[in-house]
Amino acid sequence: MESRLLKPMLAIYVGLFLLFLYGPFIVLGILSFQKGPEGGPQFPIEEWSLFWYRHILGLAPPSRVSPLPIGISLVRSLTLAFMTMVASTVLGVMAAQAFRRNFRGRSLVFYLIVLGMIVPGVLVGLGSALVATTTGIERHWYTTAFATHVVYTLPFCFLVMLAIFNRFDGSVEEAAWSLGVSPATTFRKITFPLIFPGVLSAMLFAFTLSYDEFSRTLFSSGREQTLPLAIYSTFAVEIHPNVFAFGVLTTLFSFALLAVYAILMSLSVRRARRMAIQEAV
Amino acid sequence: MTTTELSASAIEMAPQSSSKSGGAYLLIGPAVVWMTLFLVVPMAMIVYVSFWTQTTFKIESTLTLASWRTFFASDTYLSSLWTTIRIWLTVLAATFFVGYPTALFVGLFVKNKTLQTALLVLCVIPFWTSFLIRVVAWRPMLGKEGAINILLMKAGIIHQPIEALLFTELSVVIGMTQIYVVFMVGPIAFMLGRIDPNILEAARDLGAGFWRVLRKIIFPLSLPGVVVGAIFVTVMVLGEFATSAALSGRKVNLLGNIIVTQVGSLKWALASVVGVILTTIMAIVIAGLLLVVDLKKEL
Repeated sequence: MESRLLKPMLAIYVGLFLLFLYGPFIVLGILSFQKGPEGGPQFPIEEWSLFWYRHILGLAPPSRVSPLPIGISLVRSLTLAFMTMVASTVLGVMAAQAFRRNFRGRSLVFYLIVLGMIVPGVLVGLGSALVATTTGIERHWYTTAFATHVVYTLPFCFLVMLAIFNRFDGSVEEAAWSLGVSPATTFRKITFPLIFPGVLSAMLFAFTLSYDEFSRTLFSSGREQTLPLAIYSTFAVEIHPNVFAFGVLTTLFSFALLAVYAILMSLSVRRARRMAIQEAV
Repeated sequence: MTTTELSASAIEMAPQSSSKSGGAYLLIGPAVVWMTLFLVVPMAMIVYVSFWTQTTFKIESTLTLASWRTFFASDTYLSSLWTTIRIWLTVLAATFFVGYPTALFVGLFVKNKTLQTALLVLCVIPFWTSFLIRVVAWRPMLGKEGAINILLMKAGIIHQPIEALLFTELSVVIGMTQIYVVFMVGPIAFMLGRIDPNILEAARDLGAGFWRVLRKIIFPLSLPGVVVGAIFVTVMVLGEFATSAALSGRKVNLLGNIIVTQVGSLKWALASVVGVILTTIMAIVIAGLLLVVDLKKEL
């Protein structure tokens, strides 16, 4: 029958599909080892070297290629991502906690929050820049850009926490309440440890989305550039392999972040299991 | 905890449990205020400012249709509107046709859950690279001396490098398809994974060939996934400007690019007009897609 042939054909197609997804990175990775500073951003590799990596770290001798403006913009991006992570996780957990009960305007509020991840960044950026200019508020990455970043990341945190609370067994909380434990203490001692894996995921979402956010920041951050803006400004001129080396380094950074997340996650799962065993004994 | 403490906190609790929904408003309040101030107000501001009076250096709140007239009287802006719609439809079709077979394989043919997850994770990993890097990674691929041209020449398929690959509308479509196709694959694979295998078997037992099963059963059942994917791709492509700027050598001007240039020259009113037009197109498309499938019922 046809389907006996179909499955291997589809498997080959998926292989090609993955090549399509990864091809550009592979090429970018290879070209980041181009000889410098004369080597261009294309094949052939004249000579394998780490020149462009040293160039990024500011270790290469001065040449006609100006170094990428990373340093301070990296600090700004990390700070902004951290601020966004804290704000949107707190707001998201609170909002999801509220959604465990029924209240008037529930579905309207749901759409209002989810709207934040649907509206394209260029429009949110434009809107907040308009509000800032007409009200005379100065734009900075830590004020206006921070506000628009949270608008974007809050829906992700909210949805993650909503999914977590959906599978949450409320009877443990009720047991604590009936024993007279105050709601605040119950949340701190019972609820929070149980939802902690979800909180970690929400934090990861918020941090990475904000760290990489570009279109929202473009209009709302004022003169001091974050890292994506600094990178974008180099695209206007001729690109050099230092952009490729930078791409490899940021990808490695993202994977490091993912590894930290995985470690924290497995630690919290293990702790939860240990507590469950103690209770059973 | 001593007995007195216990009873004290029990008394504290009493009024709180009676005003449960009041507590919900306190919890939801900050998020609602934040979204209103920093999302709803800015969006309303775009609509409002699109009717303001723009002079060379200033913008005044006197209401006028001048910027709207400027937009619809200009060939440049109108042609960028058509370019945006053309590229959006092309990318939408490309992500569907490129993504559907992958979703079909992952969602329907791979029975092993671990392998299924592994394949989906493989699709998501590229998102851990910076968006701008993913865009610029296409330059050494598509350029005149790029990887694709070199491979094709080495293989003897072509003798002259294809120059049309980079800095054209084609390169923008290729770049966007690669970046956004995963948003099509995910929802479709999810819907396909929920199809009861017995239905497919029954159809096959009744003598239906694969294409007939695909057309009559699999595709209709996956339609909600297609709609969700189409909404994702639509929203993201219509709001695009970075890919077109970086891969077309500023030759392809989408509405998003117009907004960026207008803001750059402080023409806030015209930028707002373009913003309103983009929002309107998006709202119409999403509403239309939601008419096709009732998502609340299907998901």
